[in-house]
Amino acid sequence: MLRRMVLSAAAAAAPCLRNAALLGPGALQATRIFHTGQPSLAPVPPLPEYGGKVRLGLIPEEFFQFLYPKTGVTGPYVLGTGLILYSLSKEIYVITAETFSAISTIGLLIYVVKKYGASIGEFADKLSEQKIAQLEEVKQASIQQIQDAIDTEKSQQALVQKRHYLFDVQRNNIAMALELTYRERLHRVYREVKNRLDYHISVQNMMRRKEQEHMINWVEKHVVQSISAQQEKETIAKCIADLKLLAKKAQSQPVL
Amino acid sequence: MNENLFASFAAPSMMGLPIVVLIVMFPSILFPTPSRLINNRLISIQQWLIQLTSKQMLAIHNQKGRTWALMLMSLILFIGSTNLLGLLPHSFTPTTQLSMNLGMAIPLWAGTVITGFRYKTKASLAHFLPQGTPLPLIPMLVIIETISLFIQPMALAVRLTANITAGHLLIHLIGGATLALINISVTTAFITFIILILLTILEFAVALIQAYVFTLLVSLYLHDNT
Repeated sequence: MLRRMVLSAAAAAAPCLRNAALLGPGALQATRIFHTGQPSLAPVPPLPEYGGKVRLGLIPEEFFQFLYPKTGVTGPYVLGTGLILYSLSKEIYVITAETFSAISTIGLLIYVVKKYGASIGEFADKLSEQKIAQLEEVKQASIQQIQDAIDTEKSQQALVQKRHYLFDVQRNNIAMALELTYRERLHRVYREVKNRLDYHISVQNMMRRKEQEHMINWVEKHVVQSISAQQEKETIAKCIADLKLLAKKAQSQPVL
Repeated sequence: MNENLFASFAAPSMMGLPIVVLIVMFPSILFPTPSRLINNRLISIQQWLIQLTSKQMLAIHNQKGRTWALMLMSLILFIGSTNLLGLLPHSFTPTTQLSMNLGMAIPLWAGTVITGFRYKTKASLAHFLPQGTPLPLIPMLVIIETISLFIQPMALAVRLTANITAGHLLIHLIGGATLALINISVTTAFITFIILILLTILEFAVALIQAYVFTLLVSLYLHDNT
């Protein structure tokens, strides 16, 4: 970066150097090569699942296959036995105190490996599995969370589609309430008006009744005044005679 | 035949070249570096063991003491693996050499003591006098405590050397006894062989226990001083 600054400063100071400055960085960078080929650590090649096959825990299977064409199945075993007996007889390997400690140590090790080897291997596999399961759980939980969010969003959108039902119901309710209030007020107005009209009618009726009564009383009074005393006597005598006749008629006819 | 009983403890040299350095460095090959998230069985088991041990060992320490975690775990791994490898036939155990154990014990112990004196001077000096001592005994007790402090590295080194050396010697001797008894009476030789097997089991345990004890004591000295 400093080089660029220096070059651009030089180019600004002396225009004849401008072309050199433009060429300089490009020429430099053309000779540098970055990041060709794979980075050394990725992608990591997969580990082989099982180790190479061995016989007697030490000698690879390939050795037996190598000797098989020439010496058959027993070849390597005979070779091993021969070597051991040779080293013993020639005292290349001397039997000392160390031999017995070797027998006991190696015997103990073989016993432990044979007995507990598989279970220790399973334990190691279980450790790895636990690690993977933990990470898998995190991944699954994250996926589940996002799935739940998607479902919630979808249901929300579906709800939004059906919102108009709610608005219709509300609109209907309001319309009904308005109608109700209107009719109620109408009814009240009708009742008030009827009240007032009834009042007038009843006043009229009362007036007429009073007038009638007054007239009847006036007529009665004058009629009664107009009946003289003599007329009254004659009328009463006539009524008595009529009554006697009727009584005679009634006595003559039997009661039915 | 070995010249004497102690020939197996001589510093090994091949054609005049001291290869003891190679032997000391050999156990580090057996602890591969975990390079992936999921490793092979060996590394998984080692990781699990190291986690278990370090959690248990560093639980008692405070923040300052836990900076020694790498040192303590390396120590227990080195001593444990060296001791266990020494049980194989015809092998050389570096921890049988007092020089090496002193070389481990003295710097570690001195480190803990100097840390204590630097950061908690009064408390470190207070370790020289146990609580509740009657007044006339104080001078003598201070001298005794000083001696006991300076014996600590010696005790660490000599304990490890003596235990491992004694174990190897015993195995050697009883193996020799078995060898000698085969010509005399096979039954007795067989019994001696059984004793040898039991001893081997003990030695495996001792190898691990000594590593643990060494590291535990260093960690204890550290705990006192941080």
